[in-house]
Amino acid sequence: MKKTVQWIILAVAAGILMFFPALFGIYFTNVFLTFVIFALFATTLNLLLGFTGLLSFGHAMFFGVGGYGTAIALERIEGLPLILAVLIGVMAAVALALILCPIMVRVSGTAFAMLHLAFGQLIYVLALKLRDITGGEDGIGGFDIPPFSIPGVVSVDMTDPSNFYYFGMIVLVGSLAILWFFTKTPFGSIMVGIRDNANRVDYMGFKVPQSKAVIYLFAGGFAGVAGSIYALFQNLISASDAFHILVSFVPVMMTMVGGIGSFFGPVVGAGIFGILEELTSRYTEQVELVMGLILILVIMYAPMGFLGIVQILKEKWFGKMSQQAGAEEAS
Amino acid sequence: MNILETKALYHDFSGLKVLFDVNLEVEEGERHAVIGPNGAGKTTLFNVITGTYRPSEGQVFFRGKEITGFAPHKLVRLGMGRSFQITSTFFRQTAFQNIRMGILSKRGIRFNMFRMLDKMDDVTKETDEVLKRINLDGERDIPASALSYGKSRSLEISMALATDPDLVMLDEPTAGMSVDETHTAVELIRKLTEGKTMVIIEHDMDVVFSLADRITVLHLGAILATGKPDEIRDNQAVKDAYLGELEV
Amino acid sequence: MDPVTAMYVAQGIHGLAYGMILFLVASGLTLIFGMMGILNLAHASFFMLSAYISYTVLQVTGNFWLALLIAPVVSAVIGILMERFLLRRVHASGHIGELILTVGVALVILESVKVFWGTENLPLPVPEFLQGLVSVAGLEYPIYRLFIIALALVLLAILTVILYKTRLGMVVRAAVSDADMVNALGVNVPLVFMAVFGIGTWMAGIAGVAIAPILTVFPGLADQMGMDAFMVVVTGGFGSLGGAFLVSTIFGLLSSYGVQFVSALAPVLMFIFMAIVLVIKPMGLFGERE
Repeated sequence: MKKTVQWIILAVAAGILMFFPALFGIYFTNVFLTFVIFALFATTLNLLLGFTGLLSFGHAMFFGVGGYGTAIALERIEGLPLILAVLIGVMAAVALALILCPIMVRVSGTAFAMLHLAFGQLIYVLALKLRDITGGEDGIGGFDIPPFSIPGVVSVDMTDPSNFYYFGMIVLVGSLAILWFFTKTPFGSIMVGIRDNANRVDYMGFKVPQSKAVIYLFAGGFAGVAGSIYALFQNLISASDAFHILVSFVPVMMTMVGGIGSFFGPVVGAGIFGILEELTSRYTEQVELVMGLILILVIMYAPMGFLGIVQILKEKWFGKMSQQAGAEEAS
Repeated sequence: MNILETKALYHDFSGLKVLFDVNLEVEEGERHAVIGPNGAGKTTLFNVITGTYRPSEGQVFFRGKEITGFAPHKLVRLGMGRSFQITSTFFRQTAFQNIRMGILSKRGIRFNMFRMLDKMDDVTKETDEVLKRINLDGERDIPASALSYGKSRSLEISMALATDPDLVMLDEPTAGMSVDETHTAVELIRKLTEGKTMVIIEHDMDVVFSLADRITVLHLGAILATGKPDEIRDNQAVKDAYLGELEV
Repeated sequence: MDPVTAMYVAQGIHGLAYGMILFLVASGLTLIFGMMGILNLAHASFFMLSAYISYTVLQVTGNFWLALLIAPVVSAVIGILMERFLLRRVHASGHIGELILTVGVALVILESVKVFWGTENLPLPVPEFLQGLVSVAGLEYPIYRLFIIALALVLLAILTVILYKTRLGMVVRAAVSDADMVNALGVNVPLVFMAVFGIGTWMAGIAGVAIAPILTVFPGLADQMGMDAFMVVVTGGFGSLGGAFLVSTIFGLLSSYGVQFVSALAPVLMFIFMAIVLVIKPMGLFGERE
């Protein structure tokens, strides 16, 4: 019974996603794609924050490096296929994670957060100063978006927004699916183990720093995917879009508001932010003010976020049955 | 042959000497108790053996192989397990998930990213068997933080044993337990350590004398005496330093 | 005095003045960190807030001294309120919650400032009696910069007296070296936290007023100062006042001479200095614990 309902919901959701551009028009399609980009970005942060217990204030650097990687590659290399351009961005983000992880896996807590803040800021300054590579404050824009093509089979024009929507969705939702699967493997249990009690993980026979490194590479690499798609989508990437401290705070806020306790918390959070931004930006320019207030309220009164509230309400209404299911979900 | 041996082990914390020329020998298959008054250095001894700290001086051997300063995970893979005096479970995870970590480790499933954990039926089955054996099958899906004290201590001890070590080091497994709980815990320990070597730190002398084949007395960071329970009971130096006060 | 030497000296004064401002902000940050184990990411927001308030006070009264008196106190009161009604309530949920909360407060202050004062650069004149140059031994010094240096040194002296001569200071120093010990001392910990928070934000507030005539007042103040102060705390060692003082001075000089000699590299000089220190001493120059 419950399974059937789930399948129906899933099928309806898939149907809506499939025909989104036709159903809602280009404006909302673009809003929606932006939401999914940030949903992936926030989910990669939650891999660190919610699952492994590591708070990063510099996650934008992976997002930004992914975006710059793709943009610079397209700008410099003529005839570069679309997929390769995305891959170059992702590889750049992974490379950054590889460089940083020897330091980052040795620290946690405040030190982890602050080191990321510092490195994030350093990269922001570099992106502004290394004008020849990054274009300085203007960033890199107007690069050609190559068509998605399999030689001799198909070539799809990616400057068409609805075509790009499908390309972006496949990459982003695919990435989310991979990350979801990742949290369900034995590795997922090592992650939450590190969050709850890293010392005991060591005493159970698992290598903590190495495990953290793998998680870090996943989080960084897939944040790079989000950044790469973002750069293609906007056809522009600039230092303030990519590396500004606020860009690092955004996924933290989304994750906190949505709920750090479960995989889909950040997705919900990104949705809430997207809706709020749409609504508040009609009445006030101070969208961030609203976001900041919401963030404070959430931390004070609902530290488990929106999904945490839903969980509590569920327990109230449906009693113990859902409580047990909830314990499973949250872990 | 000695499964565990320390040679001239010294440890100090920024000048404060905690261990002083400790030469511990644990024979394969025995149940060895380490006793001593508070501050004798028992937990520190465990910590330098199991890799929490590297000893300031001296060596540790496991089956004749030097393991001085090895990281805990390395020791676990060699066949050593350890429980903690202060309960150190994965508190937000269920009893089942806690034990499952040990089963995964035992089976060498560490960096597997290609199979879903819940679909590994053999792991689930073995974990459930362990839960049954340690009498926690009724609490299978309860988070460790919500378990009763006695049950959470059982879980703590069982996690050390879930990786199926040859040598298990238990740091005050019965700490803070009522008489009944202690009795249950002792039976559990006896059952689980069947055929294994065990080193146990314990304050409860009834537990020590009912469980241990041999006893080492630690006093002010040095070994005062080692021997069979009867020898220790009759040892004058031990009586003077420690047991005398307890009126054994 | 030849012009080249004069220029070096002038740059040095500029650097020292900036270093002292930096110290006023960083000292509060490092003490709060030492006491509570959290880095208050909203700290520089109080610095900026105070600059804005001083602008308004100066507009209304025209009196610089009044601005210097009122603005930091108002900032400190808001800082104390934040500690009392926000930070303290999330203390139980751990450092991560506290850190994120300070981000929220920083955002709210930043955006509120934009609502009240707009996003323009607001000029604040150097008070008349502090304008101009004073010449000593053939060298000419800008009076306002010297005033800032003197102000910071006076505050440093006051802070030192509080830390080393009062009971509050004793508790704070004990807490910085061993947080658990304070609970054992049986002092009113919440009150001490509040006092440290108040003094810290007050000093940041004074820095805000002092820097306003030099940089003008704008929303980006918090970002710039926050990052520099944060690097001072990391490099000097968390919780170390002496470290903060030394590193602030070095950073100030690095920034002024850096612009002169290696202008392309100037913005990253501090990062490089921090990186070198951290590689040699991971806990910072005078840091003892993580």
